[in-house]
Amino acid sequence: MAELTPKERVLRLFRKEPIDTMPFISGMGMVVMPGIEKAGLKFPTIHTDAERMAMSALWSARMMNFDCVVLPYDMTMESEAMGNKISLYEESEDILYPTIPEKIWSTLDDVAIPEKIWEKGRLPIIPKAIEIIKSEAPELPIGCWQLGPFTQAGQILELDLMLKGVFKQKEKVAMVLDKLTDMIIDIGKQWQAAGCDYITLREPGVAADLLSPRTFKEFIQPRLTRIMAAWDSPKLLHICGQTEPLLAMMNECGADGLTVDIKCDVRKAREILGPDVLFMGNVDTYKMTCDPETPKQDAIDHIKDMIDGGVDAVMPGCDLWPAIIEENMRACVETCHEYGKKPSPAVGRL
Amino acid sequence: MSTKEELLEQMKNGVVEYQEDVVKEAAQAYLDAGHLALDGVMDGLAAGMQVVGELYDANEYFVPEVLMCADALYAGLDILRPHIPKKEDDVNAQVVIGSIQGDVHDIGKNLVKMMFDVAGWDVHDLGRDVPLEKFVEEQLRTDSEVVAMSAMMTTTMLGMKKVIEMIKEKNPNVGIMLGGAPVTKDVANLFGADGYAESAGNAVSEGIKMISRLREMREK
Repeated sequence: MAELTPKERVLRLFRKEPIDTMPFISGMGMVVMPGIEKAGLKFPTIHTDAERMAMSALWSARMMNFDCVVLPYDMTMESEAMGNKISLYEESEDILYPTIPEKIWSTLDDVAIPEKIWEKGRLPIIPKAIEIIKSEAPELPIGCWQLGPFTQAGQILELDLMLKGVFKQKEKVAMVLDKLTDMIIDIGKQWQAAGCDYITLREPGVAADLLSPRTFKEFIQPRLTRIMAAWDSPKLLHICGQTEPLLAMMNECGADGLTVDIKCDVRKAREILGPDVLFMGNVDTYKMTCDPETPKQDAIDHIKDMIDGGVDAVMPGCDLWPAIIEENMRACVETCHEYGKKPSPAVGRL
Repeated sequence: MSTKEELLEQMKNGVVEYQEDVVKEAAQAYLDAGHLALDGVMDGLAAGMQVVGELYDANEYFVPEVLMCADALYAGLDILRPHIPKKEDDVNAQVVIGSIQGDVHDIGKNLVKMMFDVAGWDVHDLGRDVPLEKFVEEQLRTDSEVVAMSAMMTTTMLGMKKVIEMIKEKNPNVGIMLGGAPVTKDVANLFGADGYAESAGNAVSEGIKMISRLREMREK
């Protein structure tokens, strides 16, 4: 059995072709402190420069043996490109991702997406970082992500405007979602053209503990479907929180694979989806990878249980929190590669 | 003219059906008829929110509905609260509340805040994106019994642990409540928090249970 490179392994996985072993990948943030430190960088500086972003991503993957790198790291790039200021928390000793402290728009009517938004703010960093990673580490697949339209709306407006608007201002909510959907399609295409190997649409703001499945069907599903239809494969869909009531609808959106977080029971999910859907999840990104009191064996058991539960790839349920416990993180990846040598429901083995 | 019971029922249903105007009118009519404001808050508005909590738990209501019910509740509270005399206000406790630094969302925080407002607490709202030390300073300044923190993002929740340590070190008797979407009960236990609300929605569930307990206490 010839060993595949991570890129071969991951791209074959997305096509549901046989692979050598299960990859440890993500559609969301995979940057970790050991990689950032190895690259000689500090956390607040890795969001604003292509070289620093690329090198911190690369070293994170190399040091932890991840099967991919993922860009970008934070959720504010688009909002910033629309004119909002970001906080980088450069003074803080803690790991804090950039945020939008105050939003320039206060009503649903205000939303106006600039033309060629991918040329604005920090967005041009991404194609440059992709280029650097491609030349430094051609063996690693590069994943990029875009927030879904509802979650993105929360980066540019007060979220309660959107939430209440679902009842009180249906047409305006639909208008905002449509504008953002167009933008998400455009940016995703730009990144695919720049060479990203797969793309994830993450829409955590629509979980069934926030919005009703009815609202999901009416407002969210049609837009997620439109985005998926416009993007090239491979493309994944991720929703955090309670997703069991949404899985069947998620599966209709046209993604090549679905990913969930720890609130989703993978066994139940697999039962709902059947054996043919590419399904990934759902590493607990605090307890298993960051909590110093979690024994290594617990992390190993967590991964084995997930694989036995029917995932096709082990994927963190959320962005990896960068302050990992190295020993446990390595154990998670190693267990995935070792225990994942057997076929998974949707993907055979070479 | 409507009876006291009818007006309470109107306030309650107005909250459940998120009809701000119905709640306002009923609250004003209730006051004008000379009924006790505190009863109006507890047996009208809070009773409505209790039903909302049940509807949320039964997956009939979701966060958008709950937010609109909360608006209706506040519409009534704004009218009734100024007429509750201090001495009648059995619970005269204080809470410091805020979303933690790195988190600019405040839906969960605002829903928890509502529960304290209903219960007649003095609420010190620090807003969102609040630096860790600020929680500690504000607790010391106000001598509040409870500190409630929320984080909607996994990436900010670790900050909570530090705040809890800082507060417990200076004042071990302070009650701590955590809430926010990604914080699981396990995490709350690990961090040594005393109360826990899993999500914006659970914050409401938990908050409403607390309101229910307050109502039971008054009846005894």
